[in-house]
Amino acid sequence: MEVEKYDCEATLSDGQVMDFCRKGYLMLEGVVADEVNRRTVAFLDERDGAEPTEILQQDWFVDGVVKNPQGAGAVRALLGRDFALPRLMANHRVECPAPALNWHQDGGSIITPRLDYLQVFYYPEEVTRALGPTQILPGSHLFKGYGGLLSRLRSVRDSILTISPPGTIFLTAYSIWHRRSASTARGIRNNLKYNYWRTVEPRRDWVEDPNFNFSWPANEFPPFTVRAAQMLAWLCGEEWQHAGGQGWPCFSSTPHGGDQPGLPAGLRQRP
Amino acid sequence: MVDAAQVAQWLEKLKQGSLVAADLECALQRLKQGGGQTPVQRLLYLQTNTTDLESPVLGMATVEDGVVNEGADDPDAWPYQTVLEAMVDGWRIVKFPELALAYLDPEYGGMKWEFILEK
Repeated sequence: MEVEKYDCEATLSDGQVMDFCRKGYLMLEGVVADEVNRRTVAFLDERDGAEPTEILQQDWFVDGVVKNPQGAGAVRALLGRDFALPRLMANHRVECPAPALNWHQDGGSIITPRLDYLQVFYYPEEVTRALGPTQILPGSHLFKGYGGLLSRLRSVRDSILTISPPGTIFLTAYSIWHRRSASTARGIRNNLKYNYWRTVEPRRDWVEDPNFNFSWPANEFPPFTVRAAQMLAWLCGEEWQHAGGQGWPCFSSTPHGGDQPGLPAGLRQRP
Repeated sequence: MVDAAQVAQWLEKLKQGSLVAADLECALQRLKQGGGQTPVQRLLYLQTNTTDLESPVLGMATVEDGVVNEGADDPDAWPYQTVLEAMVDGWRIVKFPELALAYLDPEYGGMKWEFILEK
């Protein structure tokens, strides 16, 4: 089967792309139409296996979810034009109540500043806390977890529960630490998972804001680390090496004007 | 269960010359019936930001009565915000963080400093 490519308008701004590099995920709440959500749930009730890949042959699903303007627009921003569409569909379908799963990075995770693919999740129904939303740890996509230790973690400060309205899509860097949280309610929770792939070299061709200042990132969690900076520089097609000291991406508690020393040439406001 | 108070009582009776075989037979019977079972170990796992005992707790789990438990969703509701707070509450450290982890592949990271405590 030939890989199908797709192109559309990129929807993310400089700030949103920088945030994705820092956090490793992006939530797009309630972006899929109600009718598509209903049809998806009905489809998954009939095909309740772990890999309902045949849903990718349904035009209403491809148009409403895979090529969803906001979802695909974010993918276009991060993976560039003519990105490859998913060929495999997994469904983390859970009969609740169910215990939490162990924290993990998915098999095949590597730690790299490259962003050659995205792992995307779609909730067709509302996911409350009681239905065991996927839990993710912001910023963890840039670190390999010690295997034995990762599986022993339980409650983790600053982790995010992806409590969401119906029709929510969230994009993640593949290597992000995540798990299914414990559920207490009765019912079924569907969570579709699929990947998009890059086919072109990276460049800064998303929604560019000439007034956006990449310098002096804020002092916040997760921090905009050197690794996050490497990812952003790679996405911008910039050759960059960390100079250290108070050079980019050294944080600051107060905004400063002008370019920070060490900022990649293409990201400077005054080239 | 045979405990410190029981032994103290026997010692007092022994000193007074009133300790009789029945006192010990009674305790022996209780031990045979399970009253002397070893208490189940309680564990507290605390992952911290650094190896400092006052470093903020980043992650936690407990093992009580043979069951692994999570903390509350809200970290402010966790029982201890530092390892030192847990120690003050009677938890004893049985495992300090592995400092060797600091010298491994720099790709590894996050949540690597872990104290294991018991009661």
